[in-house]
Amino acid sequence: MASSSSSSVSSNYDIPWVEKYRPNKVSDIVGNEDAVSRLKVIARDGNMPNLILSGPPGTGKTTSILALAHELLGANYREAVLELNASDDRGIDVVRNKIKMFAQKKVTLPPGCHKVIILDEADRFFFDFFGGNMVKCRYNISMTSGAQQALRRTMEIYSNTTRFALACNTSSKIIEPIQSRCAIVRFSRLSDQEILGRLMVVVETEKVPYIPEGLEAVIFTADGDMRQALNNLQATYSGFRFVNQENVFKVCDQPHPLHVKNMVKHVLEGNFDDACSGLKQLYDLGYSPTDIITTLFRIIKNYDMAEYLKLEFMKETGFAHMRICDGVGSYLQLCGLLAKLSVARETAKAV
Amino acid sequence: MGKRDAVVVLSSDEEEEDWKPNKNSRSKLSSSVPQANPEVAKKKKKARFSSSVPRSRSSRVDQFEHLGDEFDEALRAFNGSIGYVKNQRKELWVDKYKPQSLEELAVHKKKVEEVKMWFEQRLRTPKEEFDSYVLVISGPAGVGKSATVHMIASHLGAGLCEWKTPIPTLWQEHVHNSSSGIRYTSKLDEFENFVERTRKYISLSGESKSSIILLIDDLPVSNGKFAYGRLQNCLRVLVQSTRTPTAILVTEYGNTETADRTARSIEELVLSLESAGACKVLFNPVTLNSIKRTLSRICRLEQCNVTAGEIDLIAKASGGDIRHAITSLQYYTLKPETSFSSPSSNGALACFEEKTVDLNSLDVEASLPFGRDETLSLFHALGKFLHNKRDTENAVTSDHDRFHLREKFRRLPLKMEAPEKVLSQAHGQARPVVDFLHENVLDFIRDENIDDAWTVASYLSEADFLLASSRGTITRSYEAESVLQSTAVSVAVRGVLFGNSNPLSSRWHAIRRPKIWQVEQSSVCNKFEMMKQRFTAYDGLSSSNLSHVAMEHRHVLKWLGSRPYGNGVLTQGNDTEGNKVDGMTSEGQQCEASEDEIEDW
Ligand SMILES: Nc1ncnc2c1ncn2[C@@H]1O[C@H](COP(=O)(O)OP(=O)(O)O)[C@@H](O)[C@H]1O
Ligand SMILES: [Mg+2]
Repeated sequence: MASSSSSSVSSNYDIPWVEKYRPNKVSDIVGNEDAVSRLKVIARDGNMPNLILSGPPGTGKTTSILALAHELLGANYREAVLELNASDDRGIDVVRNKIKMFAQKKVTLPPGCHKVIILDEADRFFFDFFGGNMVKCRYNISMTSGAQQALRRTMEIYSNTTRFALACNTSSKIIEPIQSRCAIVRFSRLSDQEILGRLMVVVETEKVPYIPEGLEAVIFTADGDMRQALNNLQATYSGFRFVNQENVFKVCDQPHPLHVKNMVKHVLEGNFDDACSGLKQLYDLGYSPTDIITTLFRIIKNYDMAEYLKLEFMKETGFAHMRICDGVGSYLQLCGLLAKLSVARETAKAV
Repeated sequence: MGKRDAVVVLSSDEEEEDWKPNKNSRSKLSSSVPQANPEVAKKKKKARFSSSVPRSRSSRVDQFEHLGDEFDEALRAFNGSIGYVKNQRKELWVDKYKPQSLEELAVHKKKVEEVKMWFEQRLRTPKEEFDSYVLVISGPAGVGKSATVHMIASHLGAGLCEWKTPIPTLWQEHVHNSSSGIRYTSKLDEFENFVERTRKYISLSGESKSSIILLIDDLPVSNGKFAYGRLQNCLRVLVQSTRTPTAILVTEYGNTETADRTARSIEELVLSLESAGACKVLFNPVTLNSIKRTLSRICRLEQCNVTAGEIDLIAKASGGDIRHAITSLQYYTLKPETSFSSPSSNGALACFEEKTVDLNSLDVEASLPFGRDETLSLFHALGKFLHNKRDTENAVTSDHDRFHLREKFRRLPLKMEAPEKVLSQAHGQARPVVDFLHENVLDFIRDENIDDAWTVASYLSEADFLLASSRGTITRSYEAESVLQSTAVSVAVRGVLFGNSNPLSSRWHAIRRPKIWQVEQSSVCNKFEMMKQRFTAYDGLSSSNLSHVAMEHRHVLKWLGSRPYGNGVLTQGNDTEGNKVDGMTSEGQQCEASEDEIEDW
């Protein structure tokens, strides 16, 4: 959502900051020190083993792979790297052939260098191309084992010239014969400090006027996802030319966390009516129930309240979220949630 | 010796295996090319000797595919000894340290012996008639199935004739692009040809069959019911008629998430192979000790200093997959100058001793950022949750103390970071966490606190409900999905923490793997089994639902004592007899499994 607004709001066709500030070197990647330090060694010494990078979105998996490939292959990048991702929808056979043709292709590389095949969003990739895509479900059986054969065989046969790097959200979605041939590198969400560090670099280079609370808001909306953070920052800047809380939440189309926090506070203090009117305001501003409840969940997670209450609140929020996902995303649903939270509080309260 | 001139290599596995610079691999294309190193060449020639079938398209394609590699290799050989030492470092360790002898195989000795005997009997006494010449070797990925067959073949001095599923070239792709479907069948054609050829060849030349082992490492893909039927048929014919010892390797899928219809259809194929008289041997995950031994050996040879504790961790994280363990080791040893800080201490070693987590050493930060087995990195976090350490008194009076809770809802502050944070450090996925908690939490609840057990169970079931709702639907966005998952896991973890108001005092506890995973797996198997029965019984036209089959039909069938396979009466007898002769009955496996060196993962 944020990414689309970033490109449309700006009039002078800026390149998205996620691309502009995509680190070109492995050493510029923030967070996940252990993984990055090892990738650095690979970038220096070559001989990349087959890799699966798995972790939540926007933590630098794709960036790491691309940077690594660039550092490894330098000027040969265009020749010696094959990038494939899930949006490559030209059909499974073309993709498989591409992989094979590429693996067979002769490229003169310095000794110790290998060609690299990058499969981005590999879990979705397997799902769409080799797995249970609804349209292709007639070919279901052949797809998965076809992928298996194409990939695991290619991995083995060409391992002296070609290596694979896969990026995915969950490694368990990747078929086992392939997992078995790869080292698995896990990425975790970036911490707020790590994101802040990167944002500061961008803010300074782009000369973005900001106040600290604004960046805080950007970090809140990003929830450990650097891509989201950069997109939201850029969107706010191009929309309002100034990064403060209000602008960030306006641009990101997310309910203001303070507002939501107040709702929770009202519930905890027993002011059900106030909580409800807060909710009504949000709802009337046009925020969707999913947006509201997603923010609500994150507020509850970080709110300082009794252990029992937090547990109950999370549980009820979870159920409400589930029902909303199932299509019952009404105002009434959200009011009901507030009522449930109030009941939980009443039950727990000492008389 | 005319046969030897027409050597056609259906397999070039040797090439894949050892990239020795002094090997002139062109020898396989035409044996008249002078051999660079006579000794090697002799060995190769023997090993290569495979079948004198006229060159077929598939084999030519195969050869062509490997031309590039051969050229590469030749180039390397040319660069000769200077480059070699340097090149050594640029290999994958799984290739570099392929086992060179039977002893080096990380597979259980008895298993290797069993398989070796099986082939030896058939190769040494060709005159004798055996009931079965096909051995299905099944097991999870990376447990050394292929390596075992390769080693045994070279140990027995037999040539390997390997079927490799060809991937169509781009030309074929172009030709067939418009009419999809043909490709798959054409592969099947080739497979049928392959089977036919090997059969004919073997029956023509009586004497040389002693030196050949047929290997089908990759079952060809079948697409749709018709093709599948053909494949099945073709395999049955192979099983029933071949007189060449044949190994068919089948990868089992342990993980239910990736085990889709493919896995099911392969299982079905295996069953049908067995019913046609094939023997079957099951490879277990490689034992921890074997993996550790192999890893230590590699470390020694590579001269990298990895502590025993680290090797132990890597071995455990691999989940019995030796290939993955070696790959992980290679990745792990890519240390920058400063050594990896966290789990290298002895604390981490103790922490994972014998799959038992020392819950007392909770301060060791031992989440492992790699490894196939995601659950291992979880143990640390799980320990924290189950152990539920709390402060002894409510020291800080925080904001919420203004609000008075009832006695029974009050808890002392937790001695850990926020559960969500602990989880994210442990790379915890919702489903396994909930399953693990459910499996283990009762060990930590006092017998007298039945109410606590009730509370915990109800929170866990709610978490389960939240997770179940997120299963199956594929259209949901990653975001919505991840909120659901995190609520579910938070409810489970916090439910366990809150519910267990008076946890058992610290002592050693082994964290068990969720039994539900086994149950789920066998339930899937059973269901599949029933579906198949229903399918055969009704010729695919049935609409009776599975619970009917389970509740009524099966019992009746059992009672009638009828066999699941229509044409199975004869071949089944065959089957069991063959098994008895070869000592590969399931009992054999069981008694082996009970041996102490074998652990289940
Ligand atoms: N660890 C990081 N360090 C610096 N920038 C990052 C990092 N992670 C993500 N980014 C930024 O976010 C964008 C998207 O990251 P990407 O690597 O594509 O994430 P994913 O993990 O989803 O593949 C990149 O263009 C980059 O600008
Ligand atoms: Mg990505």
